[in-house]
Amino acid sequence: MKTFKYIWRNIRRNPIRSLLTILSVGFSLALMTVLYGFLASQETWKNGAAQANRIVVMNIQGFSGALPISAVDDVRATQSVAAAVPFAWFGGSYQDEQMPFAQFATDPNSVFDVWPEYSIPPGELTAFKTNRQGCVLDRRIAARRGWKVGDRVQLKGAIYPFDLDLEISGIFDSPKNTDSLYFHWNYLNEGLKQQSYPNIDNAGTIFARISSSDSIPTVIKSIDDKFGSSDTPTRSQTEAAFAQMFVDMLGNVQVLIRNIGLAVVFSLSLVTANSMAMAIRERVTEIAVLKAIGFPRSRVLFMVLGEACTISMLGGFLGVGMGCLFLQGMNRLLPQFFPFTVMEMLGPWISYGLIAAALLGLISGIVPAIRAAQMSVIDGLRRIA
Amino acid sequence: MSNSNAGETVVVVREVCKEFRRDQLTIPVLSGINLQLSEGDYLALMGPSGSGKTTLLNLIAGLDRPTAGDVIVCGQNLGQSSEGELAKWRSRHVGFIFQMYNLIPVLTAYENVELPLTLTSLSRRQRDDHVKAALEVVGLQDRMDHYPRQLSGGQEQRVAIARAIVTDPTLLVADEPTGDLDAKSAGEILELLHRLNTEFRKTIVMVTHDPNAAARARRILHLEKGLLVSEVVSSRAKESVQ
Repeated sequence: MKTFKYIWRNIRRNPIRSLLTILSVGFSLALMTVLYGFLASQETWKNGAAQANRIVVMNIQGFSGALPISAVDDVRATQSVAAAVPFAWFGGSYQDEQMPFAQFATDPNSVFDVWPEYSIPPGELTAFKTNRQGCVLDRRIAARRGWKVGDRVQLKGAIYPFDLDLEISGIFDSPKNTDSLYFHWNYLNEGLKQQSYPNIDNAGTIFARISSSDSIPTVIKSIDDKFGSSDTPTRSQTEAAFAQMFVDMLGNVQVLIRNIGLAVVFSLSLVTANSMAMAIRERVTEIAVLKAIGFPRSRVLFMVLGEACTISMLGGFLGVGMGCLFLQGMNRLLPQFFPFTVMEMLGPWISYGLIAAALLGLISGIVPAIRAAQMSVIDGLRRIA
Repeated sequence: MSNSNAGETVVVVREVCKEFRRDQLTIPVLSGINLQLSEGDYLALMGPSGSGKTTLLNLIAGLDRPTAGDVIVCGQNLGQSSEGELAKWRSRHVGFIFQMYNLIPVLTAYENVELPLTLTSLSRRQRDDHVKAALEVVGLQDRMDHYPRQLSGGQEQRVAIARAIVTDPTLLVADEPTGDLDAKSAGEILELLHRLNTEFRKTIVMVTHDPNAAARARRILHLEKGLLVSEVVSSRAKESVQ
């Protein structure tokens, strides 16, 4: 009979208590997995952006400021800029959905030059360029909604007083889920003109691809110097810095989430320790018998710790598994908030979660294990009566 | 089971005193006990509650150390051994039989008997042979897959005896082994102990309140207030001499 068999039988001795302990560890670690997964997704975005030779040009006032559409050509004219496009957030709703997916008004002639890692059939790209009401979208959106080329998509303006009536010209593939739809900037601008909207000819932000990463600092300085004395001074930054800006917006939230995670682990260790202490208290006589027949302290210690670790590891696998399933589900349902797959989001976090579970077992089991190992055989046997 | 020659000294208890401390109080439990047991001896310890019977049994079994004096069992001076050394020594030399059987409820009869063997370097097959042999001695080979809750009190005690003898120890210590059994089961257990003593030459030290149980032993020692007050050679011993 192996030691683990005995440990497993002891776990099954009081199945309800063991199950409740496993579930409490599991649900808490599932919560932690989701929270840390969300944080990690921000890091993933930032790290992914760091590999692209792209910069983002925006008004120095940030998203509240505008950039004239003429600035796009000025950026294009800058040395080492391979391609540049306006990139204006539309933020329209689809039927009853407030934020169905991201929608950007851009230049169909250059958008796939700025993002060369996206692929689209040439015929569909030509159709997109020639159809003023044409749009292209990420294959994942099309698959999720059952859309195909030629279908029409109506988007109701939420920021702008203009509704879009779009025809799907093409479907593109991208290495990661962009959850995005691109349409003609001109179509939006002309529509806004018809509505006498005051803020027309606005490029929103400008995305530009630079021919080599070495040139990026020079290009950024050159663009910002060029617009420095204009009505719309710019703040240019790498795409990675742009992503970092969003991550930084979560600054205190990240600290809060991490601290909540630590508090959850600490409180859980108390719950599990109490459960283990109860289990050992009920088994004082048995432990005394084991020690009487010659079980050394180290083996008793190992058995109790093994039981605590097995329970918390079962909870860990359950929790991390549930967390991953939840994140994967969110990736499918709300890709605009969770644009990456579980492995992209979590990666090492999965092992961190399991290590946290193992540590939880050790912390919660160490005191009952030491008490069991040091327990007097005589005192333990005396409880028989 | 070994069946070596009789006469070899197994237990020597020399001028043993034992005191317990409770807060500031020192409570003497045993005073100046002297005792010697040879291989194949069967000793019954009797006396009123609090007379020190179980304390003496615990000292002989290496579960406790004397305050003064020497307890030498199977050549080992137990008072001078560390906790770890005592645990290892007990696993080799002592088999325990308790009043309440103390089987592990989550293990089958087979697994309970196998438990002491997991401390040895025996292979799985060797352990299996030992366990089956021990269960055969106690007549429970057909119940090896039963859990303790599926056995009667007498059967549980027989499994406990199998667990005690599976490592082939020199010494068996029994603390009121029939105290929780009906007369019939108690008789069967006493008969089994008798067989282990006579057939397998096991040295047995048994604490009991039951004069009938004590009568099965070769020697009966009476303790009172921590002192040995009398030693009786039992009727069984007399019969065997005649």
